[in-house]
Amino acid sequence: MTAEAPLLRVAGLRTEFHTAEGVVRAVDDVSFDIAPGEILGIVGESGSGKSVTARSILGMVHEPGRVVAGQISYRGRDLRTLPPKAMRPIRGREIGLVFQDPQSALNPVMTVRDQISEALTVHGMGRAAARERALELLEQVGIPDARRRADDYPHQFSGGMRQRVVIAIALANNPSLLIADEPTTALDVTIQAQILRLLGRLRHELGVAVLMITHDMGVVAETCDRLVVMYGGRVLERGTVEDVFRAPKSPYTHDLLAAMPRLSSDSAGARRLPSIPGAPPDPAHLPPGCPFEPRCRLAVDACAEKMPSLTVFSVDHAAACHVTAGGASIPVLDSPPAPPRRRAEGDRRPILEVTDLRINVANGRRGLWGRQDPVYAVDGVSLQVHPGETLGLVGESGCGKSTLARAIVGINEPASGAITVRTGGAVQYVFQDPSASLNPRRTIRESIDEGLEAIGVPAAERYDESVRLLERVGLNARHLERLPYAFSGGQRQRVGIARALAAKPELLVLDEPVSALDVSIQAQIINLLESLRDELDLGYLFIAHDLSVVRHLSDRIAVMYLGGIVETGEVATVYGDPRHPYTAALLASSPHPDPAAKHRERIVLTGDLPSPKNPPSGCRFRTRCPIGPIVHSDRTICIEQRPALRPAPNGAHVACHFPGELRNGEA
Amino acid sequence: MSTPPTAKRRNQTLLRYARAFRSPRGIIGAGTLLALVVVALAAPLIGPGGYDQQTSQTLVGASGQHLFGTDELGRDILVRTVYGLRTDLSLILTAVPVSLVIGTLMGLSGAVSKALGALTQRLLDIILGFPGLVLGVIIVMIIGQGWWALFFALVFAGLPGFGRMARAGLLSEQDRDYVLAARVLGVSTGRRIRRHILPNIVDPLLVQTAIFMVVAIFIEAGLSIVGLGIEPPAPSLGAMLNVGARYATTHPSYVLGPGMVLLLLALSFTLLSDALNEAAIKR
Repeated sequence: MTAEAPLLRVAGLRTEFHTAEGVVRAVDDVSFDIAPGEILGIVGESGSGKSVTARSILGMVHEPGRVVAGQISYRGRDLRTLPPKAMRPIRGREIGLVFQDPQSALNPVMTVRDQISEALTVHGMGRAAARERALELLEQVGIPDARRRADDYPHQFSGGMRQRVVIAIALANNPSLLIADEPTTALDVTIQAQILRLLGRLRHELGVAVLMITHDMGVVAETCDRLVVMYGGRVLERGTVEDVFRAPKSPYTHDLLAAMPRLSSDSAGARRLPSIPGAPPDPAHLPPGCPFEPRCRLAVDACAEKMPSLTVFSVDHAAACHVTAGGASIPVLDSPPAPPRRRAEGDRRPILEVTDLRINVANGRRGLWGRQDPVYAVDGVSLQVHPGETLGLVGESGCGKSTLARAIVGINEPASGAITVRTGGAVQYVFQDPSASLNPRRTIRESIDEGLEAIGVPAAERYDESVRLLERVGLNARHLERLPYAFSGGQRQRVGIARALAAKPELLVLDEPVSALDVSIQAQIINLLESLRDELDLGYLFIAHDLSVVRHLSDRIAVMYLGGIVETGEVATVYGDPRHPYTAALLASSPHPDPAAKHRERIVLTGDLPSPKNPPSGCRFRTRCPIGPIVHSDRTICIEQRPALRPAPNGAHVACHFPGELRNGEA
Repeated sequence: MSTPPTAKRRNQTLLRYARAFRSPRGIIGAGTLLALVVVALAAPLIGPGGYDQQTSQTLVGASGQHLFGTDELGRDILVRTVYGLRTDLSLILTAVPVSLVIGTLMGLSGAVSKALGALTQRLLDIILGFPGLVLGVIIVMIIGQGWWALFFALVFAGLPGFGRMARAGLLSEQDRDYVLAARVLGVSTGRRIRRHILPNIVDPLLVQTAIFMVVAIFIEAGLSIVGLGIEPPAPSLGAMLNVGARYATTHPSYVLGPGMVLLLLALSFTLLSDALNEAAIKR
């Protein structure tokens, strides 16, 4: 640990919520330090207490929550004992806050310059000086053409640019500490890479320390110096990123890291993902001992009785575990072997064939002067899915992947082109947010019945069939009559899958089916999807933004950018040898849960996805392309001609005039 | 194991609304309304001679014999008030539910096709464009003065409110993931509306119903005041206020009697709508 006195020291923090149902201990005995200029990550899943910890530091815990014990000492002053009035100059001036959602963190009716100056004037700066400083801040956070854009409103900025503005506001008063609560969770990977790089740069330039709250181990490995792993309101492990990732001493950290699908994994298909059973505990009903005990494969009797205290393993590495404290090492988490996939029997024709599809998403309302111009969110896409096969569809928000998926199941109307589903084949859809996709007023049984009824299963047989479906997805008959609120996120997603299976589909369209789930649950659902595909010979169109998840589950992959497929091919080929500069950049931008990869060369794309209302001429990627006309002014072909998908020597198909020039890791 | 517990849950929904009648507002509102209905039903007992029985005593003030006094033709104002209440209640308690059902169906018609939805919305806009009185005049012109004219005027006046509320509910609900999921499963439009959309818009519609009952009272009174109400000699609260206002300075009980009853009626519906609203929010 650094010799300097810590900037912030949290010791024995306990925050409780006194509700009608009893006392919820959201944060219990949490301690950590942050040195000046350091980036500390607090990692945890939903209900781990990470956000409540951040709020406790700022004295912003909502009613009925209260910090009941512990010290929060900032530069030697205990913030807990400060009266609210004395807290105000610290919040905002000494400690800046970056929120998760830049959309709601900015006031839509104020220009960004006014919002930044406001942060300065409330702490006593004059108006004119504040407006000048606002401009300087916008430049500092990398808003291009800041002088011209300062008087724009938030809606005129893209999501990534808005997050930069939020960071500018947090930095306005030269704080010594930034608290960033999931600052990149709402952003796309290429934008996330930009923001993470910005935070790193600001730390070096301004010496600001960052407390980063996140659920993403990849983000931690890329940006943090040290981390604190929280679970069920407790700190289970803390240490330097290198130590914790190399040799985790808490079984939770260990298994969580093991359960994450990797970009570079070669075992895809041969083995299932190692996974942690169960779900994170409800903070209102924590087990009496270690909160991870019910899910821990190493648990001993003591774990259920008493919360272990932190054992120090090295100067700056400690973990709370009865088992490893005794010197035991953590054995490798098993990855169950996958049964061989059956192929080549039955009808092998594609289940789904999409040919040259265009989808107009302009709402079709007639203006005063005639019909509005069409907006093609999907513009000339062709793809096929075979039985028993997964086609991964990757792209950032706004690329048209969900529009395409919804057209395939008949929610969106195509403007031209064809969607052909094999005769007799049914297509079903699994939604991203399992809590939104189940009617909260209807029991699981009623939701599943709806699917059975739709394909004409007689009422008398529906009960047995529902039980069969639930067992298939790892639930059972006891769950049938419950309402969705009684289930965890992972269980709800299982119900969503069971409902889709009720209609006996041959193809499942999976729209980000695990991205709304806790990290420790994702592997369970991915494994379930994999075994269902292999047992039922289902075809999957798997849509995701997380490239590692796609890699694990997919046989082939298609990369979409602004309405078109830019590269497609076998997974190993495309990941190992990306030929399109966008694919290469996407791969490079994905955070690796491995601190050793921290200093790899990275292609960080500049700018944002253009609007499909007004796509660039020629190649749609040319406005951000690191090998296109913004770098090589002689490459006018990119401006004039839209490249078609052409076969590359490695077997993939690429839509680029200069394929293969930019590879993974080269900038 | 195979009896569906839907019935149980339906009871829970009912219970939720039953809660509305446990709050002070709900109890007072429902109690007042119930009392008024009982009084209206008991009209023949209160005035066995009917509402048109004349005496020689015209325009006498409140007395033990005539609690609200008599009118210009010597008819007992209390008896006429009770019969008038009967008219008003019979109108409101039939026209408003009819308006609710038709308006909701019109609002939900957008689920069948976008064009149909747009068409019904324009129709509702046209109805909304006519002030209540003009609407009343047109209906009286077509079918003539009387109970049915008032009935149709109230039904039409309520449509835009119910229609728009149902449409707003439809638009916000139909793009929810679970409604889309039902659509992808191939569940028919009618079933989708019944199972997934209607239960979610029942709350605002019920509150709107109670609110519109208050409005309906005043529409009836307004039409009666300009002489388009119920045909004399049959009484309605509005018509009585209209005539009574002429004698307000000399015989205040003429307006005060029917006025108070009208106020009680409006108050009971207002309290009910408040209580329902509260129950709907609490859920």
